[in-house]
Amino acid sequence: MIEEKIVEIYPSDKIQSPVHLSIGQEHHVVAICAALKKDDMVFATYRSHAPYLAKGGDLKAMFAELYGKHSGMAKGKAGSMHLCSPANGSMGSSAIVGSIFSHAMGVAYAAKLKKESKIAVALAGDGATEEGAFHECLNFSSLKNLPILYVIENNGLAIHAPLCIRQSYTLGALAGSYGIDYFLAEDGFDMENIFEKTIKIREGIVNTKRPFLLEIMTYRYKGHVGVAEDYDKGYRGRKELEEWMRRDPLVGNRALIEKYRGRIENEIAEAVNFAEKSGFPPREELLKDVY
Amino acid sequence: MATMTYRQALAKAMREALRDNPKTVLYGLGVTDHTGIFGTTLGLEKEFGKERVFDTPISEDAMTGLGIGLALSGYYPIHTHIRNDFMLLAMNQLVNSAAKYKYMYGGCFTVPMLVRGVIGRSWGQGAQHSQSLQSLFSHVPGLTVIMPSAAQSIMDCYRYAVNEYKSPVISFEHRLQYDYSFEVKERRDDQNPFTSYLIRKGSDVTIVAVSVMVQEAQRAAKYVKEKAGIEVEIIDINCLTHPDVDMILESVKKTGKVIVADTSWASFGVCAEVARIIAVNAPDSLKVPLKEISMAKSPCPTTKALEKHFYADMGDIVDNIYQLCSGKEKHNQSLPDEEYKKTLYKEFKGPF
Repeated sequence: MIEEKIVEIYPSDKIQSPVHLSIGQEHHVVAICAALKKDDMVFATYRSHAPYLAKGGDLKAMFAELYGKHSGMAKGKAGSMHLCSPANGSMGSSAIVGSIFSHAMGVAYAAKLKKESKIAVALAGDGATEEGAFHECLNFSSLKNLPILYVIENNGLAIHAPLCIRQSYTLGALAGSYGIDYFLAEDGFDMENIFEKTIKIREGIVNTKRPFLLEIMTYRYKGHVGVAEDYDKGYRGRKELEEWMRRDPLVGNRALIEKYRGRIENEIAEAVNFAEKSGFPPREELLKDVY
Repeated sequence: MATMTYRQALAKAMREALRDNPKTVLYGLGVTDHTGIFGTTLGLEKEFGKERVFDTPISEDAMTGLGIGLALSGYYPIHTHIRNDFMLLAMNQLVNSAAKYKYMYGGCFTVPMLVRGVIGRSWGQGAQHSQSLQSLFSHVPGLTVIMPSAAQSIMDCYRYAVNEYKSPVISFEHRLQYDYSFEVKERRDDQNPFTSYLIRKGSDVTIVAVSVMVQEAQRAAKYVKEKAGIEVEIIDINCLTHPDVDMILESVKKTGKVIVADTSWASFGVCAEVARIIAVNAPDSLKVPLKEISMAKSPCPTTKALEKHFYADMGDIVDNIYQLCSGKEKHNQSLPDEEYKKTLYKEFKGPF
């Protein structure tokens, strides 16, 4: 509903920031974050709306951020791609795919040094696993027995390129070669299953001090960037979308939707109103927080 | 006043970083081996434990990101690179993440960390073990770049970085300096050491230098003073991203003659930056055109026959001082000969 509101607002140009909507692949994020503890630290990518909110990020601060307002969570300096909420363990979202794995690994190393029982989570897409840094991190986190959960959201696309022209490996085999346990959630919409599974995985990580790789099959409803659909562009068909939507509880489960609709609509309206009414950052803000 | 080699200052700084700040973590390729980053990390694994001091896989990108994660968790990472050429493999993390983490999130985070990169020179280091990449990193807001030219700078700057500074610092250490001895006092003062230093006062020519070129400038200054009574003023930029602009301008206004001596290429580098500072702030202060001392505009050749033309030494600085003071390219003054230079230079013998 939040993403739909952004779709509605976007043509007004009030949000002048590239948005990469989570719609279609928010289910597993909610399920995973619900299974985490508050101080578990999550790093995400530019598709950051779902992880930010699922980890407890404030909706008003998010809309204000999208609007580029001073009351945004980063005073308008982050925009849509770099949401964070450190108080809730949302530790940042990078537009450079693959660069967050090692940040999560550093947090995991710190947890090990402090002997804390928290874990670090890196949420990234299937494309990010093609970066060399991903392999560097699998190696090091296994070598050093670090409490880190890699969540790979496999929507089959890197921008517009399908998996088959990008990858020669499978994640399960790859994880195995580093001695890292792996699970494939074939239905990214099965939130209960992913929730239950993540609780167990988390326990395992804390107890064994070993990394874990969780792959989620999911689907991106909109184009890579912006709010438009792009099923007429030839790289994928609407049939695929219809197939996923038919199984989407956030589309099909009317009882669930109606139960919460009013409350959520109010919350969104308040957040949009807050963003609309907030002021832009003053010029002095330009050179603040550089060093 | 005590004396200390650059290497000893580094070893002391590393040990004190771990001893004085329990959150310091020191790592990099070769940190725990028998050579210990040219002797600057020896014994530290044993003293502070293998979790705080460790060798790494050859994964510069991930190891730099590891440092960012550690910093986000309240630790102080020190990441070493035995040649700064390898830092190009960490460029993404340094430029896209470390430099941005505070600003991009509106001040929600800080990423205090220290990256040490060693610049190689001589004994055929060749194209990929001899670069001096300070300008690439100095270009990017959010990174603080230092080039300590003496043992005192190492001690002051590293102590400040580890215990007080809240942003990522990149330090370029020059391999040739490791065996040189310097006079040191326990603490220069309590001021922020990330600034420039007036190394020598003079009224005829200003040399603005970095790293080992500060020493070359001192050698040249001594020579022209003895031979021709010329008084050279030397400014050690020390912190490339936060130079003391007023100090540079004041000196240039006084002498009207400037040589910039850098360890790297002239274009887009320290020479270009100092020329920019002068052109923007005091364009009328130069009485004669500015002189650049830099590497030749080519990759570094391995053979000594070419390498000796690739680098500048104190002789080139002396030549430039005479040119500036005489106003002529052909000044008829004699330059230091090889015998004279031999008395100054500790020959660097490889392999590394």
